[in-house]
Amino acid sequence: MADEFNTDGMLDMYLFENEQLLEQLQEMVLEQKDAECFDEDSINEIFRTMHTIKGSSGIMMFDNITAIAHKLEDVFYFLRESHPDNVPHLELVEHVLEVEDFISGEMAKIKEGQSSDGDPSEIIDDLNQFLDKIKGNGNGEKAAKDIPENVHEEAKQFYIAPVANADSRFYKITVHFFQETEMSNVHAYKVVYALKEIAEDILYSPEEILTDESCADVILEKGFRILLQAQASEEEIREIIGIGYDIEKVDVLECKAEEFLKGFKFGEEETGIDLDSSVEEIEAKAENALEVKKENKIAPGDFVVKPKEQTKPKKVVKEKPKADNKATFISVNVSKMDMLMDLIGELVISESVVMQNPDLKVPGLDLTNFNKAATQMAKISTDLQNVIMSMRMVPLTNTFQKMNRIVFDVSRKLGKDIEFEMVGENTEVDKNIIEHISDPLMHIVRNALDHGIESNEERKAAGKKEKGKVTLSAKNEAGKVWISVTDNGKGLDRQKILSKARQQGILEEGKPDSAYSDKEVYQLITLPGFSTNDQVTEYSGRGVGMDVVVQNLQAIGGMLEIESTPGEGSTMNLKIPLTLAIIDGIVIETGTSSFVVETGLVKEFVSVREDMMIHEPNGDEFIMLRGECFPVLRLGDWYELENYCKNVEDGMMVVLELDGKTICMFVDKLVGKQEIVVKPIPSYIKKIKGLSGCTQLGDGSIALILDPSGFVE
Amino acid sequence: MEELSRPNTKAVAVPDEFSEQETQKGMYMTFKSGNEYYGLKIQYVNEIIGFQDITPVPETENYIMGLINLRGRIIPVIDVQKRFGQEPFEYNDRTCIIVVDVKSTTVGLIVEKIAEAVEIKDENILPPPTISRVDRIQNKYVYGIAKVGDSVKLLLDPERLLGEDEQQTAEQTNELMVEN
Repeated sequence: MADEFNTDGMLDMYLFENEQLLEQLQEMVLEQKDAECFDEDSINEIFRTMHTIKGSSGIMMFDNITAIAHKLEDVFYFLRESHPDNVPHLELVEHVLEVEDFISGEMAKIKEGQSSDGDPSEIIDDLNQFLDKIKGNGNGEKAAKDIPENVHEEAKQFYIAPVANADSRFYKITVHFFQETEMSNVHAYKVVYALKEIAEDILYSPEEILTDESCADVILEKGFRILLQAQASEEEIREIIGIGYDIEKVDVLECKAEEFLKGFKFGEEETGIDLDSSVEEIEAKAENALEVKKENKIAPGDFVVKPKEQTKPKKVVKEKPKADNKATFISVNVSKMDMLMDLIGELVISESVVMQNPDLKVPGLDLTNFNKAATQMAKISTDLQNVIMSMRMVPLTNTFQKMNRIVFDVSRKLGKDIEFEMVGENTEVDKNIIEHISDPLMHIVRNALDHGIESNEERKAAGKKEKGKVTLSAKNEAGKVWISVTDNGKGLDRQKILSKARQQGILEEGKPDSAYSDKEVYQLITLPGFSTNDQVTEYSGRGVGMDVVVQNLQAIGGMLEIESTPGEGSTMNLKIPLTLAIIDGIVIETGTSSFVVETGLVKEFVSVREDMMIHEPNGDEFIMLRGECFPVLRLGDWYELENYCKNVEDGMMVVLELDGKTICMFVDKLVGKQEIVVKPIPSYIKKIKGLSGCTQLGDGSIALILDPSGFVE
Repeated sequence: MEELSRPNTKAVAVPDEFSEQETQKGMYMTFKSGNEYYGLKIQYVNEIIGFQDITPVPETENYIMGLINLRGRIIPVIDVQKRFGQEPFEYNDRTCIIVVDVKSTTVGLIVEKIAEAVEIKDENILPPPTISRVDRIQNKYVYGIAKVGDSVKLLLDPERLLGEDEQQTAEQTNELMVEN
């Protein structure tokens, strides 16, 4: 296959679609993990998802994925058809997640260009056992027997009429074949085929007449039922169907449109019972049923028919209230987005070139109309910038959902009873940032589960209410995103951390424990190699991790704050910039160079007098501001710039606050505040302390973006 | 395509198949820096732009002059003459920046004067003599010496020209140590 077509595009599509399906699946399963059982919609949804995955994997020839999806599909087919009562729900959830993991794992392999070679047979065996088990206790043996094995289903065959008009009449038709008819399904298809000539809409049951030979028996036993919308009269229909050598009897009943819409009187309960009833009884029942109508009706589900919206608007709304809420998405290559972003940046710059064009400065020009048009254009380009920025923003939902899964797995493995709560998962963050916080967040959540929350016994002993709880919350505040992981466990043990730190020689010799604030102590756990857990578990305790978490966060300009109350739990606060691509900055000038500093870091600007300065003999300088003493950093000195202003009275002090430290940066002058598009410094130039990127200013010149944390190190 | 490319590449060994690569084969962009003329394979050359304002970047090697804004792309520029350790020259309006693409890195090279694009046959390229009058540092970037008519062009290997500096200084010291 690979030789014949270029399957790359197909493969990408396959991976992308299935990833999304699996994500949705997981979300749905976890949402209902605490329920008694899956509701009908979810069962249908899972069934459908597995069906789709099975189909596409079959096309791509990933047999192991096909096999496992097929098995899970079988399980849900059974659930869907026979509604067994006593399904061990948690076990089912685990099975579904297991399958999901397997498929994700295989897809990851495929993505990396390896062959998908995982062996699903173990999981399939488990599923088989599980299926046998629920079949055994199912809703009566008959029901179980009655459900035909779920054979591969092709696309459903139903015909949707293009139009319906007032003259249309609706019929319920039941065709009974002679009992000795062979291949009654094919005969049934013949009938459908004939009716198609006149039909505006036709539905029939059983619907797999061409693909599933086993339905021949069903047709023989219960008759072949058709719902027909046509303009023809009853006689015409009878003529078309025509009692022949194969057809014993045809019932044609005219009905109302609403009844038609309600679909077949096709209840599973009935199906089960009917098996043992005589043919006559069934017929009688069917007849009855047609008269009694309304009760026990099961609307044609998505698999039976998709009604045409135009003719049946009510139906659609009723059937899929959820589907309508979902926004539609297309996936776009990120590099295209970046390109668009760059272009818009260019547009903004060339706009300012036009606006500030020296030609406009000729005295005596009447620019009224020009200015009107220019204002309009400026407005549009600002909107454009906002839209592109919002396009890069993605809600945290998926990331949080992953954590939900981790809580589920870990808490079961550790035997802890843990509740998980998510708050504000719709908070939007730049896509680039989301990619970077997933791992740190996972680590923190695991830590909370493993170290934070005590075992059930310990909790009891401490007199806490039984359930441990982990809350993951996100909020948007002051241009930053705050994500916090809170647990109601034992909290951090200050004494233990301190003694461990002493042991490892991290603390300063001779400095008493009391000299360290709680915050400082808690910050110790983020140092490499530090772990207070005496036992190494599967999930944590090796002392590798928190330092990596902090490193990862710092890489995207984030911070970690730890709060803890002994006995009541701890909170890890992650403070993360909303986006990396655009920052609100203050443009400053020193010497001939322009620099930008993030507005959030600037506490104030101060004009100082020489007598406020304190000079140390070694060249260090300090400044007294309102009775407090801060270190001074001359930007020009730091970068050895030329021609910068040396006299403090001619320049400007920018007071910066970062990580609780305050420094004063001395610059020549302030230029202004503006939104800037962050661009990386080309990798050809090696990393420079204190610089985090560069940007283009309105006049096309380049300014360097300062990262003051580099000054403090 | 064939008709068009044939005249351009008449004498060069261009067999049956023509492509941009093929037509560019043997073509060199030459420029003057100091007293010498240098050549760069034309495949590396992206474009040539006039001199424009450069934003200096602190704490970089002396030959990295800073950043320029190339239609929204921010690229570093280096001064070839400084890179060779020669005397720097005054930039004027004849100064050009050759934008080269080397292994997905885009860098501007500031050169004193663009000469011309010439065609150099493989047989006219000689490996640099081991004892050359060109100084050692310069020699590292030159992979061949080409005869074009009466003049001599030094052919530059742009990868080495842009390559990691630590590595180069390391090599440099090694070489010097061997020498001594």
